[in-house]
Amino acid sequence: MEQFSPIKRSKDGQAVRYLIVDDSVFARKNLARIIESFGGEIAGEAGDGMTAITEYERCKPDIALMDITMPQMEGIEAAEKIVQQNPDARIVMVSSVGYQENIVAALQRGARHFVQKPVKPEVLYEVIKYVLGEDGVVAATAGAGA
Amino acid sequence: MTPFRDDPGAEMRELFFETSQELLQSLNDDALKLERSPQDGEVVRSIRRTMHTLKGDAAACGFKELSELAHKLEDALAEGSAADAGALVQLSLSAADIFSAMLVAYRKRTTLPDTTAIKQMVSKLASGPRATRSKRKATTSKNSGVMWTEGERKSAGAAKADGKSIFHVVAYLDQLCAMPIAARQMVASQLASIAQVIAARPDEQSATHAKKFDFLIATSAAESTVNSNCVIPTVISHAECFPHGVEAAASADIARGGAKFPVPTEKSGVAPETAGPTSVAENILRVGTERIDNVLNLVGELIIAKSMMQQSMQEFTRRYPKDPLRARFSDAMAFQSRVLNDLQRSVMKIRMVPVEQLFRRFPRIVHDTAKSCAKQVKIIIRGQDTDVDKSLLDAIAEPLTHIVRNAISHGIENPRERELAGKDPTGTVQLDAYHQANQLIVEIKDDGKGIDPVKLKAKAVKENVISAADAERMSTEEAFDLIYRPGFSTAEQITEISGRGVGLDVVRNVLMRMKGTIEIDTTPGQGTTFRLKLPLTLAIIQALMFRIEHRLYAIPLNAVAEIARAQESDLHRVDTTEVLQLRNRVLPLVRVGQRRNSELEPRRDKIFILVLNLGERKLGLVVDALEGEEELVIKALDDHTVSTDLVSSASILGDGRVVLIMNLAAVIERFTRSGTDVSNSGSLPRATDGAAPEVRQ
Repeated sequence: MEQFSPIKRSKDGQAVRYLIVDDSVFARKNLARIIESFGGEIAGEAGDGMTAITEYERCKPDIALMDITMPQMEGIEAAEKIVQQNPDARIVMVSSVGYQENIVAALQRGARHFVQKPVKPEVLYEVIKYVLGEDGVVAATAGAGA
Repeated sequence: MTPFRDDPGAEMRELFFETSQELLQSLNDDALKLERSPQDGEVVRSIRRTMHTLKGDAAACGFKELSELAHKLEDALAEGSAADAGALVQLSLSAADIFSAMLVAYRKRTTLPDTTAIKQMVSKLASGPRATRSKRKATTSKNSGVMWTEGERKSAGAAKADGKSIFHVVAYLDQLCAMPIAARQMVASQLASIAQVIAARPDEQSATHAKKFDFLIATSAAESTVNSNCVIPTVISHAECFPHGVEAAASADIARGGAKFPVPTEKSGVAPETAGPTSVAENILRVGTERIDNVLNLVGELIIAKSMMQQSMQEFTRRYPKDPLRARFSDAMAFQSRVLNDLQRSVMKIRMVPVEQLFRRFPRIVHDTAKSCAKQVKIIIRGQDTDVDKSLLDAIAEPLTHIVRNAISHGIENPRERELAGKDPTGTVQLDAYHQANQLIVEIKDDGKGIDPVKLKAKAVKENVISAADAERMSTEEAFDLIYRPGFSTAEQITEISGRGVGLDVVRNVLMRMKGTIEIDTTPGQGTTFRLKLPLTLAIIQALMFRIEHRLYAIPLNAVAEIARAQESDLHRVDTTEVLQLRNRVLPLVRVGQRRNSELEPRRDKIFILVLNLGERKLGLVVDALEGEEELVIKALDDHTVSTDLVSSASILGDGRVVLIMNLAAVIERFTRSGTDVSNSGSLPRATDGAAPEVRQ
């Protein structure tokens, strides 16, 4: 897999912490691999919306990647609940083109961004940088050695 | 001079001819609106927009003269905004006329009409102050590009008054992003965090294929901030931000978009690749009527096939009453017939258009007619949403126009007379359309002086239409019938308006051809109502089938008021007319068969009388036997098949028999005029069972 210059937290230079929410184990694995290639750290995983909320409260990640269609509670509702509790939460919706309306709904309820499934690493990389804004910094030198 | 250069443009020109009709219509509408409310600046703007669109579209099609004229008018309207509204109304109406004439000339490739008169009007208007010119430039460019509605522009104005800057932001979708709707939401949210979003194009529903998004925002942020906020990696590749009012890029779009495709009002500015408002147009399919007719015809064949099946089914049931397969067949057939009904209804619906398409011409017609008769008339239009078959609509346009003109020139009194009679000096003409049973009813009602039967008779006697003795005996109903006589008019003198050689006789003929009727309701001093009744569609009718001398005929079921049973001995003869005493009414009878030869044929005692409603009159049609009701698919008969107007069409039954459909109006006319019991003068053509109709010369 292509290597990216790691994105670090600008406040402490530590790895960016992620919560990955998807009901497919394969999709979680795939996302985790991509994120690790960005130098990120998987703080938690969840397979449904309910777990996502409790996991978010437990690990307080920098970014949550959220699937839309899941059992128990859908991604939109989970995103909404998380944002209600944590107004600064950065939630990126991950979904296929067919769920565009749901993405719009999630964006209206506080999600920050979206990426299309299947996730392209270079797209997600740009999205992460954008969502982190000033809180993220690209460690230019570290990438070359990795 | 003719700008036809290449063929690929032909389709576009066709489109232009079509869309420009709508533009001219709205020009007419706006002009009349302006006449009613001269202070309404929005109407003037609307007229100017119409001119602007016409100008662009015409130029794109190479119609230089029209484009130039529209351009002149557009200029004149901007400069003359302060000018007398009356002059603007006149100018707009004349413009609509001259444009329409030009379009005809372009279409037929004939000489263009003379435009000197209108140019003079323009230059008269244009002599206003020059200072407004630069201002106008800004306004028109604001009108170009994406169109913001008046309300949106008002909010922008209000925000501007609050010290905010107004920007038009154009955000372009990133190639990587396959979800424009979501992308649109993201930009909108981004903009909302720094600005008040006044308007957005396209809206959420129509953004499916959008490549760029237009926003009108009010903000206190700087242009660069707005710009950088809109750029979102992987979603929005870049954005442009213009202070509202000077949109350089948008007018560039016009050149691109306009040249490729002449889209009507409010759309010309959008580049072709955007889904924006154009996507609305994409949902509309233009289909030639003949294609729809073709489908309808096939549906008709299916209905015949259905009745074939039904007959076979009956036969099957008779032979194998116990067979379990029977239930399955009948289930399948019930399903089939339900789908078929839906199919038929849907296809019919395609042909249906709201009657508004016809009605909206009338404000102008009323305006012009009233003006030339020096009368004050207002028009009220109701029921414009009523759907009607397109071909029917086209057919009644002419009769309707005639009746409305008549109502104004003959019906409505001049203002002074009206005041003397204690009425509002402004007369009213009311158009109404509605469905009743399977019919379309169109009413034309005026509050004029009504029709006086006494005057009518006097006039008829004077013109030698009837004798004085006839007039004495005539009932009021019969007197009203006089107005349908060719060349008959009660107007003191033939005016240019209603004396165009098209009389009410022609109106009635047209209606007869469409299997419709016309009724008059009039109260002297209070007004007249003409009521046109037409079948909703001409393709499929509910018919009553009957036999006369073993021949099968059908008539539309809705013409039959009642069916009476009688004995030959119940019939009486009054003068030359056979009559039947039906309850307390005497019903004149019509017999269409050959003279009964009692030696050859045994006298049949039991007969049926179909009581027919024909406009005001009731008549009984004597038939030998009833055959039943059926939905008949009408097959037109051309003149080569049957050379008589007594049958209007034919149909094929499920068992292959041919049934002729009587043209009732013609039958009754023919058989009442020459006495009832006609032998030689006319007899109906026959359809020999299972074969093509016999030709009768």
